[in-house]
Amino acid sequence: MNLLPLIVVIPLLMAIVFSYIYRSKYIRLLTLLMALVLLVLPLLGLYGPYFFGGHGVVYIEGMPFVSGILYTLNPLKETLIFTLMLIGVLVLIISTREERLSGTFTALVLMGLASVSAVILTEDLFNLYVFYEIAAITQAGLVILAGREEAYRSAFRYLLVGTMAGSILLLGVGLLLSATGSLNIVDMGRYLALKPLTPTVYGALLMLIVGLAYGGGLPPFHTLKVDLYSRTKPFVAAILQTYSKFILIALMLVILKLFGGLPIFNTTRGVLIALSVFAMVFGTVMALLQDDYRRLLAYHTVSQGGYVALGLALGTPLGIVAGIFHGINHTLYKSALFIGAHIVEKIKSPYMREVGGLLLAMPTVTFLILCAKLASIGIPPFNGFQSKLLLAEAVMSADMPELVILMLIVSIGTFLYMMKAFYLIFLKPCSEEQLREYREVRISKYHIFSLGLLVLLCIVLGLYPDMVLDRLLPLGEEIAIE
Amino acid sequence: MDLQLASFITAGALVVLGLYGFFFVDNVIKKIIALSIISSGVNLTLVAMGYREGGYVPIYIPTVEFQVFSKHMAYPLPQALVLTNIVIGASMLAVMLALSIVFYRKYRTLKTSVILKED
Repeated sequence: MNLLPLIVVIPLLMAIVFSYIYRSKYIRLLTLLMALVLLVLPLLGLYGPYFFGGHGVVYIEGMPFVSGILYTLNPLKETLIFTLMLIGVLVLIISTREERLSGTFTALVLMGLASVSAVILTEDLFNLYVFYEIAAITQAGLVILAGREEAYRSAFRYLLVGTMAGSILLLGVGLLLSATGSLNIVDMGRYLALKPLTPTVYGALLMLIVGLAYGGGLPPFHTLKVDLYSRTKPFVAAILQTYSKFILIALMLVILKLFGGLPIFNTTRGVLIALSVFAMVFGTVMALLQDDYRRLLAYHTVSQGGYVALGLALGTPLGIVAGIFHGINHTLYKSALFIGAHIVEKIKSPYMREVGGLLLAMPTVTFLILCAKLASIGIPPFNGFQSKLLLAEAVMSADMPELVILMLIVSIGTFLYMMKAFYLIFLKPCSEEQLREYREVRISKYHIFSLGLLVLLCIVLGLYPDMVLDRLLPLGEEIAIE
Repeated sequence: MDLQLASFITAGALVVLGLYGFFFVDNVIKKIIALSIISSGVNLTLVAMGYREGGYVPIYIPTVEFQVFSKHMAYPLPQALVLTNIVIGASMLAVMLALSIVFYRKYRTLKTSVILKED
């Protein structure tokens, strides 16, 4: 029996349960149990389609149309969902060691996991829109839980713009529905390939790109995301950036499936590449200027989002695979970095100039964070190296050598600010008194375990990238435009 | 005038009005109202897309033969979309209004220029 919908239904139902029992004294235990259940979820679905209600596929004038909502599972989607759930599990585990944990936090994380899973699984554009909006509310909610005034402001700004971007995306969905008569992405793509393009379709494409930029944190909405990531607790930012990255991947795949084969895709590709390049450059330049470690990591997320979008925007099999692979790698090492930042913030402060000499106080954590940083810069044997190499290959084979040079420059920039942060936080000499102060703060084993597990995965994927690539390659070729 | 065209024009006017409110009015609640107006404009566009001159309401009427009914009914899908979108819009609005209350308690004003000022 195909239990695919349970990947979405179980977290969603449990979110409701957790929001009712938010004051229970067993909330930590229940959250831990829930985290274990989440790990099993990706195994529930069978590969292939799952039709909700409706009548499956119906034939109208010889053309197949899907009636009702369709979810599909394939190795690519399964890998994405597994990574998403893994980060969710680690964040939930860490949250049980935080002073103030309420069921509301667990409920919001679960709601986010359910909605992003649905965005990945669904082949129905309206269903995608619904869960995209739920994910936006969830992200704002998680930031509001930080309980600080600046967090409220960021969440409010995010929601204000989100309502607007959501309306634009919905209008895009409506225009595509009116042009094709269907909401199923595959049916729409097939229809668009057969009929001449109308201004309605052009308008819809533009609106989808606006929705993509907002959901995935690309320019001009990247500053909203930076605010979100930097004004909540860093370990929460780990799950927020995972949501954004996977929504970016899911929406890019939708655009490729809908418009990939059409002549208009050449222009679209130009626009998407321009957005990615701007995200890469802007993210790096702004990260160089930061003193707040959380903000530095937030800008780094924007620049790496640019890499992911660049790969997918190329539309070639290698580009798509490289983009998705980098997305997965990025969520792994970036979550490790955010958890590291959380430890740094707990010990002293998120401001780099106020910390220093943490190496002597916690050598293991320092080593793990250094590994995550090396992965983010793209140094072998870590996973970041493999995906950046693959991306560079994809860009070269698409005849855009100038972009490879840009990628290298951005990588050098990343090296500079990551090492600057590492020196200021861990290596800069500090007084004996300060060191004693650091040693008094107890860091939970759960934090170190999560950090260690993510770094281990970075090394494993760096040494054996085929573990993931073998699952992505066949589908990359299927979606690609050439 | 054709009802569908009139609906599209109204929807366009609502969106423009909402955009004006969103960008140029310096009041948090009014900004939220403006967003709600934009959302209504989009909803109206969707409903108008499924409109059919002289068509049946898309609720199956047993006395009408199915073939005739299916040929003459309005397109029901956009209506389902709008219904869902209204729910999503309401939840978004609820969160934003709750935050506005928090801001008002802190600043004793609803001016966006004061509340959302950069730190």
